Amino acid sequence: MLLVREWEGGHTGSGCCGTLGGEHSEIDNRGETAHTRSRMESMGAVYRTVREHLGEDADIQIVDPRNTMYLVPVIWRDARRGGASLGAAARAVHRGTADGAIVADGEVLFAGNPPAADVALEAIRTHLARSGEAG
Amino acid sequence: MPAVVIMVTVLALFALAYRFYATYLARRVYALDDSITTPAHTLEDGVDYVPTNKHVLFGHHFTSVAGAAPIVGPAIAVFWGWVPALLWVTLGTIFAAGVHDMGSLVVSVRNGGRNIGTIAGDILNKRSRTMFLIILFFLLTLVVAVFAVVIGILLVGNPGAVIPIFAEIPLAIFIGAYIRRTNSSALVPSIVGVLILYGLIAVGQVFPIEIDGLAESLGMGARTLWIIILYVYAFIASRIPVWVLLQPRDYINSHQLFIALGVIFLGLIIGLDRVAAPALNTNLPEGSPNFFPFLFVTIACGAISGFHTLVSSGTTAKQLDRDTDAKYVGYMGALGEGALAMGSILAVTAGLAAADAGTFTELYPDFTTASNGAVGNFVNGIAGFASHLGIPLELGATFAAVVVISFAATSMDTGVRLQRYIVQEIAETAGFAPLVRNLTLATGVGVVAPLALSLAPGGGEDGYAFGRLWTLFGTTNQLTAGLALAVIAVWVTKGGRSAIVQLAPLVLLFTMTLWALVANLTDFIAQRDWVLAPLDAVILALALWLIVESGLALRAAQRGSVDEAEAKDLGINR
Repeated sequence: MLLVREWEGGHTGSGCCGTLGGEHSEIDNRGETAHTRSRMESMGAVYRTVREHLGEDADIQIVDPRNTMYLVPVIWRDARRGGASLGAAARAVHRGTADGAIVADGEVLFAGNPPAADVALEAIRTHLARSGEAG
Repeated sequence: MPAVVIMVTVLALFALAYRFYATYLARRVYALDDSITTPAHTLEDGVDYVPTNKHVLFGHHFTSVAGAAPIVGPAIAVFWGWVPALLWVTLGTIFAAGVHDMGSLVVSVRNGGRNIGTIAGDILNKRSRTMFLIILFFLLTLVVAVFAVVIGILLVGNPGAVIPIFAEIPLAIFIGAYIRRTNSSALVPSIVGVLILYGLIAVGQVFPIEIDGLAESLGMGARTLWIIILYVYAFIASRIPVWVLLQPRDYINSHQLFIALGVIFLGLIIGLDRVAAPALNTNLPEGSPNFFPFLFVTIACGAISGFHTLVSSGTTAKQLDRDTDAKYVGYMGALGEGALAMGSILAVTAGLAAADAGTFTELYPDFTTASNGAVGNFVNGIAGFASHLGIPLELGATFAAVVVISFAATSMDTGVRLQRYIVQEIAETAGFAPLVRNLTLATGVGVVAPLALSLAPGGGEDGYAFGRLWTLFGTTNQLTAGLALAVIAVWVTKGGRSAIVQLAPLVLLFTMTLWALVANLTDFIAQRDWVLAPLDAVILALALWLIVESGLALRAAQRGSVDEAEAKDLGINR
């Protein structure tokens, strides 16, 4: 299961870091990444809820959408294994690499704004039940 | 010698180092143990602390640490011959950077994912945290300064790069606005953005932009004017939300990084170019900086870099799934950076020959010419490699310039942003309220200091060698690494294990940085350079302070014993 959201911690090619960890008194530079923090926290709620209900054995990865070297082949592979056509797999890759996407076994359950945690959990459960029936 | 033989040899050494030396570090020195639960699990929140697959985490880590610095330093350092430069890159990566990067990650993981500066306060003493902030202030000032000069040099030398580079700004802004408005993937827009960018390279070739006339009318050189323009850009860019420009530009940069790596290594393999530079330069003109110690502070990133501890500790450490993953993420990240530095050496020794861009004697006659021309040599060297892939030389050079400038601009942007917060942090410690509360003022300080360095009297077009500023940056970077190594060494010692693998590179770093600082200070004073001389003196004082603090802490660690409570607090397993 892939939860796709941007990470404020680094910038490609910068040679360094986007933040300093944020534990320096009340001054930390995470405030200027407010938009990203908001997404991180929304997806964090989804992550915690799904983890709580599916347990430690569930393979849930939070991946930055800029990490296309990982995301593209993994989503493609999972989609094709799930029986998706070439076109459907390509669409899955396109939608699944969006910030806020939730992808389960190559199937894009959500793309765009992260859903509420309980909505995401329900969709994941439905997917797992369907996969269990199919498999 | 064929460059591909060197490449294969170095990569083989890196593979052996990972297989044997990193394993030794993991087992005997850092005692990695999967029964230890990482903060990604103990503090798991799905936001900052998230157990992450080591391959995913390596991707995040490596793309952050890779930058323009492992390109510039080695490109200058071949002045002394390609063998010394390559030896320092190879041995430094294996025995210094790998130990440092992996150690920073481990110590941070064992201390709740906190950054090394904060941990230094616990492991060394309270003063060390203040020292860390001050070193960081100078490091960020210097990194912004040197990269502004790098970009200025490239824009003057590659006027065809001006249009694509400045077009990248609205391209990135458009991508950011598009994905924010539509909540859709940036994959296709960013790929289209890269294609447009590279298409604009062709446009730039037809319409190169030179600002010599404008600069002359303003009474300055073209490079100086570009630098001023860059700082205006950096000030504005660092004040706007990251989602507007910085983060969307990341999508373009992430594609560029792998395209550039592909061009370098494919071109090198296909072209089978031979190294056309002396193994050891025995024709150094009188007055040249000596190999000892300046090689070791000219190549920082690519041999050992304090920036990596800022990435490893406090960011990557929060996402490490298992304790033993530190070997893969930390050590391999160092090897990746070393490979990039090796690529730079081969570009300016073999690639240049393929590009027919000049002989070694013409391009590296003295240190001033070598350092001012290094990044241009790298760009031309990449063009040489790219020509084996059917890319015309001029286009290849502009492509390489665009890649380097993109990365350097990102470094400037993030550097100014971080510097703003360091300034506020230091101001808070010193009780100076105006700087604490006023972001614009703090940003101004963060910009003015490096601007002054970039345009230092005697600098600019005809002044000091860029290499002198670069070696100051390298020195400060090594000091940051030295602080991290000291923390790691004390932590390992408190765990009852030998810290020789940290102490050996630490002693080397301290020796070379002190030597370089004293040598430079003597020169700066003799030349009445009253900008660089005081800066050098301050950094020298910081280095001495660091040596004293490290020595005291290490001696105390060797003499004292650590009880169970302290061991638990410091995350030491015995």
